[in-house]
Amino acid sequence: MAGRRVALKAIDWVAFAERVPPNQRGMFNALKTRSDGISAKLASLPEKPVAIDWNFYRSAVAKAGMVDEFEKKFKALQIPEPTDTQTSNINAQEAEANKSAQAYIEGSKARIAEYEEKLAKFKNMIPFDQMTIEDLNSVFPETKLDKVKHPYWPHKPIAEL
Amino acid sequence: MLAVCVCRCTQCPLEGVDSTSASVLSRCFTRISPVSAILAALCREGHREAETRVPRCCRNLVLHPSDMLSRLVFVSASALKSSGPIGAGVVHASRCLHTSSQSLAPVPPLPEKGGKVRHGIIPEELFQLLYPKTGVTGPYMLGAGLLLYMLSKEIYVINHETFAAASIGAVIIYGVKKFGPSVGAFADKLNEEKVAKAQEVKDVAMSSLTQAIDDEKKEQWRVEGRAMLFDAKRNNVAMLLETNYRERLHMVTNDVKRRLDYQIALQDLNHRLEQEHMINWVEKSVISSITPQQEKESIAKCITDLKALAKATQAKATA
Repeated sequence: MAGRRVALKAIDWVAFAERVPPNQRGMFNALKTRSDGISAKLASLPEKPVAIDWNFYRSAVAKAGMVDEFEKKFKALQIPEPTDTQTSNINAQEAEANKSAQAYIEGSKARIAEYEEKLAKFKNMIPFDQMTIEDLNSVFPETKLDKVKHPYWPHKPIAEL
Repeated sequence: MLAVCVCRCTQCPLEGVDSTSASVLSRCFTRISPVSAILAALCREGHREAETRVPRCCRNLVLHPSDMLSRLVFVSASALKSSGPIGAGVVHASRCLHTSSQSLAPVPPLPEKGGKVRHGIIPEELFQLLYPKTGVTGPYMLGAGLLLYMLSKEIYVINHETFAAASIGAVIIYGVKKFGPSVGAFADKLNEEKVAKAQEVKDVAMSSLTQAIDDEKKEQWRVEGRAMLFDAKRNNVAMLLETNYRERLHMVTNDVKRRLDYQIALQDLNHRLEQEHMINWVEKSVISSITPQQEKESIAKCITDLKALAKATQAKATA
């Protein structure tokens, strides 16, 4: 019986739980309970069914040949394995997830680069004590007073003072 | 009349004055006026090193000053000491002269304190400039002489405005001296608040950026665990399949067994029924074969047996 008993990969639920973000914890818990239920059910079933004692039946059943016929048919019986319809879906999902993960990581790296740049700008700033107003305007452009729009002091709407 | 040289512990000996010129000067001053002579010749030598260089005649002329003049000397000397390092031509380092065309970058910060002044207006540099030639009292003499000249020659005329200016000056000086420090502290506090606000903005921005970077890195780490989810799913699927298969096996075996057991049970039932039927039939036939004659005989026999038994038991009881 080839193809049976695909080795079950050992899953480290603890490490898995660490990686779950807090907003998906509910889904993770549901998955875990489902998995645990399935594995418990599997463990409860013995691997091989109880063997039938043919000789006893041969002696017990009066009808001649019936037991032999049963035995022959039973031994010849091939129980079909249940077909696996979902693994391909799962693989497809995994490929898609990998793609979106790549995209997300790219975006994340870009964001990190942005943050690092801003951080470097802040780190390399001269201390405020040694700044002139021009230096302040160059570092924080929002502090620059618009002397064209508001030509008279204080160069900004009174409400913003 | 008396040229007085007072030995004070000042740092700079008179430079460029040798013994002959010093004596000439002192004699000149004695002829002009006693007061100016005394004031002009004060605070020349006095250092231990300087004493060796003091011309002999000056040392010979050392005499005790009067009390009032010595107090003036003390005041001027202490004022000189408290005004900072005495050295000809000392200038603050940040106020550099633009000697070369290169400009400093970043622009050096402004000095913490402004230039030193004596009596609130007159810069210290003037005193430093005149110290080598005229000593401690030189600039004062200059000021007094200028004032006297302007008054006596009526270049500045005393009128009503003078008193108004004097009063206003007095009030202003009093006001500044009394309220200056507090107003200064208040202005400094305003400035400090502005700087502190800006600093806070900067700190908050930096901390939030570092936090954001850490969060992004954490999220990336989280994403790496996505394989586990799909492993779990595949495991689930495999387990379900396996369970189903085993269930099928069990079902088949159980069904076969059930059918065989049914056969056996059926057999047993038949056997039992036959047995019972046979027994019933035999009983019935036996009972029906008992005739009334046989019945009477059997009853009489039973009675005689009973009587015998009764006698036997009576005998046993009495015995």
